Amino acid sequence: MGFDLDFAIATLPLILRALDMTLLVAVTSCIGAAAIGFNLEILRRAGGAFGLVVRFFIDFIRATPILVWLYCLYFILPFYGVRLSALTVGIAGLSLYYSGYLAEVFKAGIDAIPKGQAEAAQALGIGRRDTVIFVIAPQMLRNIAAPMGNYFVSILKATPYLAVLAVPEMLGEAFDIASDTYRYAEPLTVAGITFLALALIISRGVKWLEDRLATSSAR
Amino acid sequence: MTTLDIWLGILQGCRVTASVTLYALLFAVPFGLAFGIAQYLTTGLLRFLVTCVIEFWRSSAVIILLFVFYYALPVVGVTLSAMTVAAMVLGLNTGGYASQAVRAGLQTLDHGQKEAGQALGLSRTAILVLIELPQALLVMSPTFINLLIQLIKATSLVSLITLTDMTFRAKEISQVHYEPVPIYLSLLLAYFVLCYPITLFGRWVAQRVTPGREVRRGV
Repeated sequence: MGFDLDFAIATLPLILRALDMTLLVAVTSCIGAAAIGFNLEILRRAGGAFGLVVRFFIDFIRATPILVWLYCLYFILPFYGVRLSALTVGIAGLSLYYSGYLAEVFKAGIDAIPKGQAEAAQALGIGRRDTVIFVIAPQMLRNIAAPMGNYFVSILKATPYLAVLAVPEMLGEAFDIASDTYRYAEPLTVAGITFLALALIISRGVKWLEDRLATSSAR
Repeated sequence: MTTLDIWLGILQGCRVTASVTLYALLFAVPFGLAFGIAQYLTTGLLRFLVTCVIEFWRSSAVIILLFVFYYALPVVGVTLSAMTVAAMVLGLNTGGYASQAVRAGLQTLDHGQKEAGQALGLSRTAILVLIELPQALLVMSPTFINLLIQLIKATSLVSLITLTDMTFRAKEISQVHYEPVPIYLSLLLAYFVLCYPITLFGRWVAQRVTPGREVRRGV
C-alpha cells in the first residue's frame, strides 16, 4: 500500500476546514478556564471551609486525566436530564480542567506582588477595589503572562481530545476522512503536522510576548 | 452492579496502566537525560538539530502522535504492538518535557561550579557527571515528579488504541451495564488514588530541595 503523498496533500484542505472549530474550542476554553481559575483562586484566598473545598477541587483536577473528565461530563450529565451538545460538553470540560491549573498560576502571580504595593495604595487613600484593578491586576498580568501562555498552548494541544466526543475539530475531521476512505495514515499524519505547526507558531508568539514583557519591566 | 464489582472491573486494567507507565519511563528517562544534556553542551547546528527533535516530541499533541504512530507506521512497513507504540509516544513526549527540566537545571547552576572543577583539572565529562548533574537533577526533582503524574494521567489515552487499561475497562463495563454515573466516578477516583500520593510526595520533596523558599510546583 505505502504512504500516498498525493492523497495526503488532497486531505489537507479538508482538515484545514476544521481549523476554525479547533480555534473556536481553544479560544473559548482558554477564556473559560481563565475566568473559572481566577474565581477559584479568589475563593481559595477568602479561606474558611470554602477555601478548603476549592483547594481540594484543584488538587483533585490535577490528579485526574482530562479524558476521564470528558467521559464523565459526557455520559453522566444526560443521566440527570442535562442534555448538552458534544461541543458544549467539550468546552466545559476543558475550561473546568484547566481552571485548576490556571488557579495555581494566578496564585503565584498574586503572591509575587510585594505587600508594599497595596500598602502604598492604601496610604495614598486609593480604595480597595481600585487598588485591585489599577495596582495589583496589571502587575499580576505581567507576572503570569508566560505561564498562562504556556497553558493556553496546552489547551490548544488538548482540543483533539474532543474528537472522542465526535466534535468535528481537526482530528475528528481526519478520522471522518479515514473512515470514508479506509486510509488512516495520510489524514492522521496531515492532522498531526497541522497541529504541530499551529502549536509551534503559538508558542513562538507566547515566547515573543514573554521577552517583550521582560525587557519592558527591566527598563 | 455493586460498587465492589465496579472497582474490581477497573482494577483489572490497573496492570496495563502500570505497564504502560513503566515502559514509557524506559523511553522518557534516557531521552530526557541525553537530549537535555545535549542541548546544554552543544552549540550551533548541532544544538538546532537537538532542539528540533525535542520540540517535535514536546510540541505535538500526544493524542495525535499516538494515533499517527499506531495507524501510519504499519503503512510504511513498521509494525509495532499497541503497547510499544504507547510506551514510545508517551515516553518520548514526557522525555521531551523532562529534557527541558534537565537543561534548565544545568543552566541555573552557578558558573563557579564548573570553573572550580576545571581548576581542579577534572575533565568535562567528570565535571558534568560528578558536579553538575547531581545538583541539577536534585533541584529539578519536583518537576520530574510532576511529569510522572502527567505521564500516569496520559496513559488513559492508550484505551483509544485498544489497550485494556483502567479507562478501557470502565468503558467496557459501562457498555455492558448501563450505569455510567458510578462507573465513571469510580474511574475518576481510581486515578486520584493513584496520583494524589505522588502529588503529596512531590510537595514534600519540593520543600526539602528548596529550603526556606516558597514551594514551586511546575508543569
